Amino acid sequence: MGKFVVITKEDFNELLERLLGTYQVIAPVEREGRTSLSYVSDPAEINMEYRGTTLLPPKRFFFPEVEVLFTYRVAEGRVELYDKLEEVKGTRRVLLGVRPCDIKSLEILDKVLIGEYKDPYYAARRDGTIIVGLTCNEPDEYCFCAFTGSGPWASGGFDLLMTDLGDRYLVEIGSDRGERLVNLNLDLFKAASGDEVEERDRLLKRVEAEIRKQGLPDLTKVYEAFVKNFDAELWLEYGRRCLACGKCNYVCPTCRCFDVYDEPSLDRGGGKRVRVWDSCHFLSFTRVAGGKVFRSERPSRVKQRIYHKYCYGVDEIGEIECVGCGRCIKVCPAGIDIREAAKRVVEL
Amino acid sequence: MRGNPYLPSLAKIIKTREETPDTMTFRLEIEGSGGLEFTPGQFVEVSAFGYGEAPFSISSSPLERGFIEITVRRVGNVTRALFSMGEGGVVGVRGPFGRGWPIEEMKGQNLLMIGGGIGIAPLRPLIEYVIAHRNDFGDVMLLYGARTPKDIVYKEELERWRDHIDVRLTVDVGDETWRGRTGVVTVLLDDVEVDPRETYSVQCGPPIMIYFVTKRLVEMGFTSDRILFSLERLMKCGMGFCGHCMIGGKYVCRDGPVFKYSEVEGLLEPALVR
Repeated sequence: MGKFVVITKEDFNELLERLLGTYQVIAPVEREGRTSLSYVSDPAEINMEYRGTTLLPPKRFFFPEVEVLFTYRVAEGRVELYDKLEEVKGTRRVLLGVRPCDIKSLEILDKVLIGEYKDPYYAARRDGTIIVGLTCNEPDEYCFCAFTGSGPWASGGFDLLMTDLGDRYLVEIGSDRGERLVNLNLDLFKAASGDEVEERDRLLKRVEAEIRKQGLPDLTKVYEAFVKNFDAELWLEYGRRCLACGKCNYVCPTCRCFDVYDEPSLDRGGGKRVRVWDSCHFLSFTRVAGGKVFRSERPSRVKQRIYHKYCYGVDEIGEIECVGCGRCIKVCPAGIDIREAAKRVVEL
Repeated sequence: MRGNPYLPSLAKIIKTREETPDTMTFRLEIEGSGGLEFTPGQFVEVSAFGYGEAPFSISSSPLERGFIEITVRRVGNVTRALFSMGEGGVVGVRGPFGRGWPIEEMKGQNLLMIGGGIGIAPLRPLIEYVIAHRNDFGDVMLLYGARTPKDIVYKEELERWRDHIDVRLTVDVGDETWRGRTGVVTVLLDDVEVDPRETYSVQCGPPIMIYFVTKRLVEMGFTSDRILFSLERLMKCGMGFCGHCMIGGKYVCRDGPVFKYSEVEGLLEPALVR
């Protein structure tokens, strides 16, 4: 059991003012009826009462959709490189109001991107960002984190984790960095009572029960079923339905495949090396020089994403790479529901 | 490796050699280090600034420390840019990446090397290593197939290698000067007599070649842990991040590009494809 403190909503506004003086703050903001994570400059912009998940996951604040890796200049047979990593290194941010599922997604990305090799752009942004999570009081109809072992509780990966208790927030301290932040603003926090901690438990149990009504299998343990059914008929059906648009990849908090290309200046005297998000649903994804495409059939591309989540993730980092946020279901124009696919695979 | 693995070292093209009408070997001198310490079979990512980056097997001898070489077929934007740059051009080099041939494990054994087309490039450093340490290996044979006599690369080396190892060639289609074998590289396997229990087979070539040669090697009695190949996939980053080279839970760039058949035959996605 972690350490808990409490802050009233009024004092939380004061805390935000103070944070805005020291850090860049990324928080949920409501625009046109949808909640997105965004940089904010005024506490009034923030919507801490959003339901379910934000429109996009937090990955773009660590691994942006377009990133210049370096720029170069070419002159008289000489090339000079300018590393963009230097600009990322000074990151000092607070990511506020992220859900346990999205916190888990960052832990998964850490395992992938900070291993034998380290992605330094991602790592620098992770190091420079304090994570202040916010548990769900009300899941939406796409949420299935209880079946992927990534919610509604968060077991780690946050500096602070808030729960809305009506007129105040219960705050769990998850790291030394989180504790320092509390200590620096001790005038705003009170010790939490046992009742307040129990109230969080009751809230989250209710959320979990709500999600569990969907009756899905334990998706952390579907590896064998997926292995057994790699050639099953249902993948042909999903292949026929999939439009290969790649939206599921873009909204997925753990999809991190990218393409790299050069963008020369018009006079070709210089340019940038850029990486952009890519999609395993695109035909170009596996095309090698000379033109051969290794995943030319659409079912093979539909399978690539889903198998990476429930099967290859286990090979790669020892756990599934789906956090049950449901965003891919929400955006799929063909109505492909990854929950339903997994359930069908298990029941085959 | 320097701090930022995406940032290439600069290198100068100090020599080019035309291998075939569409294939060239580039000798690269890397700023600061000259060459690279690498295992035969490993690859580098080479940048043509303004055009992008592409993976190439290192094709020079690992004993050579002053430079590295890559052998390039002109098939895309990056390769076209390298061709037009020529000697004196400045490129970027990242790497070496991946896992090369398991040289220590192969010592004391016979080697049956099979190369197709430009796929012989990652075998060249292995062959040079083997020749420099000839007593560490048993019988060594190289079977090499090209489309036509004009498409044979490393013509000088092939002559030199003949003094040390058994080199056999075939072309898919001969011409008026060709007196050797014709047919795809598997025809050369018809005359090969080796003990599969004391031999490692080592191949690199187009996917279709690896597919059929592997089938043939299995028929000849090779166990899957003695069938080795270097696989081709799109490798953008070299570090297992960008996702393009994934085959059923493995990354060709990081876990390969050299694999034993035994390591990939059980993967959900087929590693060997026609």
